[in-house]
Amino acid sequence: MLLISTSFTALARGQAKNLGMPDLPTVVLPHPLGGTSLDSVLAKVDKQFDEIIDRLTTPLKPATAGQGKVNTASEWIELAASDEWGGLQREFMARGWGDGLPLVPPSEARVAAMVGGAGLPAEHIVGVVAPKMGVATVELIAANAVMAGCIPAHMPVLIAAVQAMVEPQFNLYGCQATTHCVAPLLIVSGPLAKALNINSGSGCFGPGPWANGVIGRAIRLILLNIGGARPGEIDKATMGHPGKFSYCIAEDETSVAWPALRVERGYGGETSAVTVVGGEAPHNINDHEATSGGGLITTICGSMAESGQNSVYYTAEPLLILGPEHAQTIAADGFSKDDVKKAIYDDARIPLNRFSPEIIERRLYRRMDMRYKNRGPGVMVTVAQRWEDVMVIVAGGPGKHSMWVPTFGATRSVTRPILKADGTPWLPGDLTEL
Amino acid sequence: MKFCSPEGRTLPLSIGFAARPKSLEGLRVGLLDNTKAPVDKMMLHITKRLREKHPGMEIFSASKKVASVGADPQILQNLRLNCDVVINALGD
Repeated sequence: MLLISTSFTALARGQAKNLGMPDLPTVVLPHPLGGTSLDSVLAKVDKQFDEIIDRLTTPLKPATAGQGKVNTASEWIELAASDEWGGLQREFMARGWGDGLPLVPPSEARVAAMVGGAGLPAEHIVGVVAPKMGVATVELIAANAVMAGCIPAHMPVLIAAVQAMVEPQFNLYGCQATTHCVAPLLIVSGPLAKALNINSGSGCFGPGPWANGVIGRAIRLILLNIGGARPGEIDKATMGHPGKFSYCIAEDETSVAWPALRVERGYGGETSAVTVVGGEAPHNINDHEATSGGGLITTICGSMAESGQNSVYYTAEPLLILGPEHAQTIAADGFSKDDVKKAIYDDARIPLNRFSPEIIERRLYRRMDMRYKNRGPGVMVTVAQRWEDVMVIVAGGPGKHSMWVPTFGATRSVTRPILKADGTPWLPGDLTEL
Repeated sequence: MKFCSPEGRTLPLSIGFAARPKSLEGLRVGLLDNTKAPVDKMMLHITKRLREKHPGMEIFSASKKVASVGADPQILQNLRLNCDVVINALGD
């Protein structure tokens, strides 16, 4: 039996249905429960205590456990819109298909061409997308890619990104349903990034005539349409962030001689890779004045030491995205990438008195007892639990800015190589017409 | 003109429920706390109310590690072995 609050009723019941338990008994208490006086919460429980007992003792319709046959055939819908563009857009919107922006109609010809970019059969299952447990076939990924404005050559990146997101350690289920603002950030590394015109330079998080926007948007449409994460219903993000429209960059692998993220994860040479990071919006780090690597690292650590981030409560992987000029200054002073990670672990620390008493008691002392309890009021809280968990990449253009991305925390980034059906890497020359 | 629905199909899952008891008298009740505030205190209160109503009731309390990740399989196995019914409270 589930005890839930009114604001989360659609999520709880929707999830019970998605997981094969549509008749799971629930008792709904008035929202909110957290952040209110204990007396008011217990009064709500008392008022519905008999209902709790009733739900535990009322017979349920018998159901058989098991999994039926998976249907991989796409559903094709005949639409007769009054005018070809506006009418279709209204129809798509009414069906809840989109992200609020105009969608390219997923016609048979466009979807077939998009499938052709994948090098896989249309009905091949790439993964099951939580929380709706939607079966992501190649054709369905292609339909969403069409709607986002992708071209067939983008399909290998999208397929690798979906494979990464459905890995259990990414916790897509949590990322899709949480009140936190998390969105999957795609970091594309390797030769395909340049071939596909995925921007790693100036304005890489912003608009421009490159592939970042449509690839990131296709991932969001997949999460909305296949994963069922409708905002306010299943996606319970209190606010979300603009990266939930599109969140994709390429990694700058050449400005400094540090190992690229894909290389750190075991994919070098011709093998391109995509890493998904469950991230907040990027936070800017401005230092136009420092002339030394050590000075820059001091500013970076100061910027990352924020008390409201999830990273402090979980085994999180905060991501530092160094602008190339900052990275060059730091590298020129002899710092390796690991040195930067260790410095962040050691110096990006938050005094305990920057947290509310309730966070200290419930999240730091109780959940991380070994780490913080009995160490006194002078204890400093780290932004990662191990230095190895800090991620560092280079991206951006000229200028004295870097950025950092706090993560959802209850998620681990996942890197997947971008491979063809035969297990060999997709190379720029293999891509369908660009 | 035909268009591909981008929503697709869902995994056809079905979970069979255990038979519900007619009364909680003499049963073992599990309480699964998802760690969100103030579920721990709610659970203590529910425990107190249940014991007032059914003095012989066994209560088995468990807590997820973190709210945002599914319960550890060992926790679920312990609940399965030790409880006749379970209340899972979500908070927020």
